[in-house]
Amino acid sequence: MIVPIASKSDARATTRALASHVDSVAGTVVAVHVIEKAGGAPDKASIEQRERDTEEMFDIVRTQLEAYDVDLETEILYGTDVAETIVEAAHEMDASSIVFTPRGGSRWVRLLAGDVALSLISGSDLPVVVLPDEPEEDDE
Amino acid sequence: MSAGDQELARDLGFLEAYTIGLGTMIGAGIFVLPSIAANQAGPASMVSFFFGGMVSLLAALSLSELATGMPKAGGSYYYVNRALGPFFGSIVGWGMWAGLTFASAFYMIGFGQYFLSGLGPYIPFLAESELGITVAALVMAAMLTGVNYYGVKETGSLQNVIVLSLVGLILAFLALGALSGPTIGEFNPSGWPAVAATIGTVYVSFIGFEVIATSAEEIKNPSRNLPLAMIAAVVTPTLMYVGVMWVSTGTLSIGALDASNIPVADVAAEFLRGFASAIPFVSVSPGALGAAGSIAMIVGAVLATISSANASILSAARVNFAMGRDKILVEWLNEVHDRFRTPYRSITATGVITLVLIAVGAGIGTLAEVASFMYLVTYALVHVAVVVLRRAEPADYEPTFQIPSVLYPFVPILGALACLAVLFQMVVAFEPMVLLGEGVVGVEIALPFTISIVGIIGIGIIAAGVAWYYTYARDRAPSQSLVGDAIAPEPAAAADGTGQYRVVVPVANPETERDLLRMAAASAHAHEDDDAELIAVNVIEVPQQTSLSQDVAFEEERVQRQQELLSAARDIAAELDIGLRTRAIVGRDTGSVILDVIEAEDADHVFLGWKGSRSTREHVLGSTIDPVVGRASCDATLVKLGPEETPGEGDIMVLAGEGPHAPVAARRAAEFVTTAGEDATLTLLNVQQPEDGDEDQSPQERGEALIDDLAERAGIEYMQYDQRVVVAEDVESAILEAADDYDTICVGATRSGPVTQAVFGSVPEAVGEAVDRTVVMARGPEESTMSIREAIAHRLSVS
Repeated sequence: MIVPIASKSDARATTRALASHVDSVAGTVVAVHVIEKAGGAPDKASIEQRERDTEEMFDIVRTQLEAYDVDLETEILYGTDVAETIVEAAHEMDASSIVFTPRGGSRWVRLLAGDVALSLISGSDLPVVVLPDEPEEDDE
Repeated sequence: MSAGDQELARDLGFLEAYTIGLGTMIGAGIFVLPSIAANQAGPASMVSFFFGGMVSLLAALSLSELATGMPKAGGSYYYVNRALGPFFGSIVGWGMWAGLTFASAFYMIGFGQYFLSGLGPYIPFLAESELGITVAALVMAAMLTGVNYYGVKETGSLQNVIVLSLVGLILAFLALGALSGPTIGEFNPSGWPAVAATIGTVYVSFIGFEVIATSAEEIKNPSRNLPLAMIAAVVTPTLMYVGVMWVSTGTLSIGALDASNIPVADVAAEFLRGFASAIPFVSVSPGALGAAGSIAMIVGAVLATISSANASILSAARVNFAMGRDKILVEWLNEVHDRFRTPYRSITATGVITLVLIAVGAGIGTLAEVASFMYLVTYALVHVAVVVLRRAEPADYEPTFQIPSVLYPFVPILGALACLAVLFQMVVAFEPMVLLGEGVVGVEIALPFTISIVGIIGIGIIAAGVAWYYTYARDRAPSQSLVGDAIAPEPAAAADGTGQYRVVVPVANPETERDLLRMAAASAHAHEDDDAELIAVNVIEVPQQTSLSQDVAFEEERVQRQQELLSAARDIAAELDIGLRTRAIVGRDTGSVILDVIEAEDADHVFLGWKGSRSTREHVLGSTIDPVVGRASCDATLVKLGPEETPGEGDIMVLAGEGPHAPVAARRAAEFVTTAGEDATLTLLNVQQPEDGDEDQSPQERGEALIDDLAERAGIEYMQYDQRVVVAEDVESAILEAADDYDTICVGATRSGPVTQAVFGSVPEAVGEAVDRTVVMARGPEESTMSIREAIAHRLSVS
């Protein structure tokens, strides 16, 4: 299954949720992050800057899943449409499902930053599993 | 990250790269500057724009070479820092950042002028006033900062539409303006010095092509598209600017242009009046047609200033990021926003400074000139960086585009001089400047020349960069300046032609360092050459994709470790009485750095330590050993240190096989024995299979003949050595068994080409792995790869 990670805090939330459902996890978990490209317009941040940030997200996932018996792979994707890129990648790697935790956020934030969760649910032709955001046990 | 991933990240073709450059170039400059330029130099300001374009074209050539060689975020800053070190890096980093904020402020005030002055006549409540312009500029700058902070999505197609309609608009302006028959009055009313001074003023309209370089990592097929896009993004606007100045000064009087806040719109309104009667079928009043043209130009100016300022804010954030990456700036500033995926702190900082600059009311001309100033300083250093990198030839610098050889030293030299010349006349005017009047100290204190306000601000920013270097960056940023390498690319000693024997010894482990250097020294000493020297190299590897744990403390720790290793190497060399130089290098890939050192030092021998186990997957003996042994153009020796006190002494055995490099192994063994003196014995061992080959020679005789032949080929027949022939069915296990009787085993590479999977050959590697002794694997120069490398190096320097 393919697990899109949106940010460092999302990496923590998603792996937390994933860990508590780890019994039902069979096969490989592929953690992906999409580096959003503007496709011609200048990007907000350089690719390299965001790649570094992505590696930090993957490190979080890796550390938190270490204790569990899960095969983990990570991959950086690039695309102009985040949801579309995830679905395409899921097909390419023959993923059985797309699993993620929604990030919430106010209407205002969704308007500005886009609502990837909604586009994923409505745009995917693969099963989409939305895991509830587990409360944090310890503060960071 | 792999090359494949890199390709995925590349989504800008020629058109996108070109429009990104054009979008930034066609900004406030062309819409605002005609009034200032006309006032300063009259119609001759066309010449100013033309020379501004020429200065930029030279910079574009140098930048293209640097950008294809180092496609990294940060553009000019990164290249200068890499080539000239963090001192100049601090100057250019802060200079570019300041230049971009001044330019953003300039664009925004240009926006304010067009937005308010342009709409004022049609929407009466927007009265034309300085305050109104400033407020409009502040609001728009705040909005742009917000858009970039929140990561509001912009699309490439929108960008293309904006840029192409701007180009269309200006072309229409030029075509109709030319048709209306502009009449130029006195071409050069203010004289050539004024024309030269105006280059500095208008240069701000040319800084935009830099964004193409900062996007180098995202451009498809960069060796072609990047230089093309850059040159096109300089040439197109230059022609447009010259044309716009021609039409403007030919349509309106200089006084009218100077008085206008919206010169291009006024010019359009003026010449379009004349076309009213030419429109068939409908009657259009000249005033209405003029107004329509004026509005079109105002809309264009608004779009152009916004897109330029937007690109500048994002470029500034990239410069911040690149400075943080090089430890010249706090990484804190470069945090990517958790939700919006933007470098929000850096964008906020840039936005706030831009707002301050707008609010201070420095005057649009001053803002433009300071931005020009900072970029001219930057480009002067960029030209220097090209020359330094060409001469130093660092391992990770392989530009796919190079300034054509007929133009090479000419472009960077002329480019740097042109930048300096423009800077000089911006800063200095030959009028005495009174520092203190007679009334204050009795005597008048004056400079024989005047330094302009722009010069004072610009020099102040440079001074701030220097101060920053000494107070912050110097202790944190590892210096990797290549200036030294550029000045003396070949070591001076090589020039006298004595062929000093040099052994390159990569050191990484303080525990094995001493034995490794001692054995390398033994090898060097044996050459009848008093000047023989060792070159101890340590490489701090900075991976392409630097990961999380790499905080400042860790970085400092590595630098300190390197210093300790190398200073220990110097102590050991003093004890051993051998010349030693050290090279501390920060590089992407240890293997290629070492190969580069071998080549640059013209080394005769590379002496590597090996931990004794093969590595797992993609490498045979190790990620560093494989390429060095596989490609070094000199002798290569790999040593696995045994458990005894002093490896390389005692009973030394050479496997006298028939491999092409067995004589090299024998020579190494002889060198160790010679240096160890009384404490060492030398045995040449050969293993023969029982019934093999000629009938008339016993295996024993055959083996002895081979050993003598080898000694002769190795040139060690004068030495005392024991012959030992083992007759056994299984050669490999016989070798392993016999090896136990000796302290050190020397074995030559069995493989001769660089093609096979093994580095030294399967037998040497098996011995190295299985025998619990000091094992020395040796091979001679790698002839074939050497010639390919030479050919490539030759080709690169010629093309």
